Amino acid sequence: MSPVFPMLTVLSMFYYMCLRRRARTATRGEMNSRRAIESNTRALPINVEIVQYAKEVLDFSSHYGSENSMSYTMWNLAGIPNVYPSSGDFTQTAVFRTYGTWWDRCPSARLPFKRTPSTFCSQDYVELAFEEPVYPTAVHILETYHPGAIVRILACSANPYSQNPPAEVRWEILWSEAPTKVNGPQARQFTPCIKQINFPTNLIRLEVNSSLLDYYTELDAVVLHGVKERPVLSLKTSMIDMNDIDEEEDEEKFACGMDTLNKQFSIVTLREWPTNGYFDKLPYELIQLILSHLTVPDLCRLAQTCKLLYQHCCDPLQYIHLSLQPYWARINDTSLEYLQSRCTLIQWLNLSWTGNRGAISVSGFSRFLKVCGSELVRLELSCGHFLNETCLEVITEMCPNLQELNLSSCDKIPPQAFNHIAKVGSLKRLILYRTKVEQTALLSILNFCSELQHLSLGSCVMIEDYDLIASMMGAKCKKLRSLDLWRCKNITESGIAELASGCQLLEELDLGWCPTLQSSTGCFTNLARKLPNLQKLFLTANRSVCDTDIEELAANCTHLRQLDILGTRMVSPASLRKLLESCKDLSLLDVSFCSQIDNRVVLELNANFPNVFIKKSFTQ
Amino acid sequence: MCYGDDACFVARHRTADVLGVADGVGGWRDYGVDPSQFSGTLMRTCERLVKEGRFVPSNPVGILTAGYCELLQNKVPLLGSSTACIVVLDRSSHRLHTANLGDSGFLVVRGGEVVHRSDEQQHYFNTPFQLSIAPPEAEGVVLSDSPEAADSTSFDVQLGDIILTATDGLFDNMPDYMILQELKKLKNSNYESIQQTARSIAEQAHELAYDPTYMSPFAQFACDNGLNVRGKSCSSSTAAVLERSLAK
Repeated sequence: MSPVFPMLTVLSMFYYMCLRRRARTATRGEMNSRRAIESNTRALPINVEIVQYAKEVLDFSSHYGSENSMSYTMWNLAGIPNVYPSSGDFTQTAVFRTYGTWWDRCPSARLPFKRTPSTFCSQDYVELAFEEPVYPTAVHILETYHPGAIVRILACSANPYSQNPPAEVRWEILWSEAPTKVNGPQARQFTPCIKQINFPTNLIRLEVNSSLLDYYTELDAVVLHGVKERPVLSLKTSMIDMNDIDEEEDEEKFACGMDTLNKQFSIVTLREWPTNGYFDKLPYELIQLILSHLTVPDLCRLAQTCKLLYQHCCDPLQYIHLSLQPYWARINDTSLEYLQSRCTLIQWLNLSWTGNRGAISVSGFSRFLKVCGSELVRLELSCGHFLNETCLEVITEMCPNLQELNLSSCDKIPPQAFNHIAKVGSLKRLILYRTKVEQTALLSILNFCSELQHLSLGSCVMIEDYDLIASMMGAKCKKLRSLDLWRCKNITESGIAELASGCQLLEELDLGWCPTLQSSTGCFTNLARKLPNLQKLFLTANRSVCDTDIEELAANCTHLRQLDILGTRMVSPASLRKLLESCKDLSLLDVSFCSQIDNRVVLELNANFPNVFIKKSFTQ
Repeated sequence: MCYGDDACFVARHRTADVLGVADGVGGWRDYGVDPSQFSGTLMRTCERLVKEGRFVPSNPVGILTAGYCELLQNKVPLLGSSTACIVVLDRSSHRLHTANLGDSGFLVVRGGEVVHRSDEQQHYFNTPFQLSIAPPEAEGVVLSDSPEAADSTSFDVQLGDIILTATDGLFDNMPDYMILQELKKLKNSNYESIQQTARSIAEQAHELAYDPTYMSPFAQFACDNGLNVRGKSCSSSTAAVLERSLAK
């Protein structure tokens, strides 16, 4: 056979695939005009391109800065760039709360959910609104410090500025890639190759994963290029791209709202076959074990193949641990309804990031928990903006065995609603980062939840008197192992004293940006002496940390693994050396903006203690 | 913009024009702290607040308070202190809202006469009210006034009014009549003329400061307080001028 035949076959397949791809997003008329354009081998400029900076930051999962501040907060991502093209750690940029793997390596680290699809690795997100809806042609992200965290860009069909609620909220992935290591902290303009979509958008979502980065990533601005009229595909996109073939599958997965996933969940009538072949020989438990490695959408697809596998796939034993966070764009009331019958034994449920923009209603959520809450041990609801007081009431009533509750960034829950949490006496972990929990509710929780081991009160701005809170903790929460008091504005040495005396099992303490703690009161010395099990201590931006404190830590907290003393002028290289010699397990030491610790000192310490990551951020 | 230890800014947001001036306290130099860092960062921060619309035109003290709080949110450990004067011109209501902490200040000149001026805030001679961030060991020892202590006024302005903000380098060295003389030379309201006038006022003040024979207002005041001084050799005097005009 001559080599021409296979070539012709390949070429015709090529042409067929191109046509098929374009046919998805074009009408017949446009196809004809496209052919006309192709034959002229020239693309006529039909649309004027609009270039926009983000008008407003609508939502985000975390940030480094203080609420109401313009330093290191997500709101800096809107508008024109303030820093780019300079590189450095500047206040005018948008910074997320965490980076690297440090938070996965401390006592408060949580076990991951299994069955997470390999394509989902997002840790944080930010949603931006632009003035004009456009068909995107390019997205530029100006990263000004430790770039490389963006893993996914999505576009939404809903216009956040329209008066009427949208009929359908559809999210389309413009670009997605696994995190890659970018060497160096230098600023860059990141312009990934985005997919063309068939609806105009002015709502863009960035998802990030900073696990490979050496320090906090910082973003300055996002630029959206697009056209007002639906574009004719240019010749460029007709080139065959291996990614396109995968993307077709992705389109099927993520396009057209929730219907696809819901159909998969729904009951399907199947033909009867007399036997199941070898599957009849395998023990039930073995098939269950094999199926336990499938992601949830695959499980749903498998359920449609035959009655035996349908039975297996709907077995509640497959839904003991369920994470719906990777599918946040598609989960709605209908999905929860379909899942209800399968989740009666559920113990771990992750609904973080789901339900927003009307996808999940309070009644839908409540119904689900009423059926499925009895065995629930761990409930993740991070960024659940649909949650209100009723939801908290339902959670606390329907989940008597609840041990872990994550309400991170659930900023729509009213302050008094948190009182309900006190009813869950078995709570071991409670995350209230960036919520509006108020003083009396928290005191009540601390009073009744004596099993608490992990508590996060980072950026809880409605708490008036942290000394009182600390006192209650010291008295009631004897089992506390990790405590996050990041940006707790008014805790003083008396609160610290009560904490240190009462919670002697503390291994992790985050006192970053707590300005009212003064080293001269001896509070840090007290901490060091009373808490020998400390593995992680953050004293970020406490300008009073001094040599004595470091020496006390070296003498008493030999298990220390992570220490952050950013921004103090009072610590010298000598005391750091003592610390490094004494604390053999130390792996992270952040000495950014410590005036006595210059780059030369850092190099020298690095040479002598190679297992320690010594971080020194810079502004120039 | 920074001039020696002084810093200033001019910014606009919708219907408000804002002038700000800050005089870094020179005494920090003796402790190894650059006095211009605090005043410069404070003014840049206030400028950013204005440009991003994070302020209320009728509340210039709010700008100072927010600006000062933002300084504390900086990872870089800032030290130092400065006076501050913020002046907000609300073009929609034709009102000027001012906040002044310390001995910088403003003048409003109408028809060749001073119609409004700021009051100096001093603790004692040559020690104005000041915003400050002190090193931890000096907490309580270093003078640190709250932004809320700023003097705040509001009044109507008219077309053709000239609004001048400056640090004490101007007011201590140039008596009113000399300032008014310079302002009379301002013929039109374009940017270049105003900038030229501001520059010449500042230059004159600077010359007078170094004139050993000149009895400046500061020197007069010093004499009244029992000190023998001539001129006032300060490192900087900064003047920013805004003219209320229809075009803006």
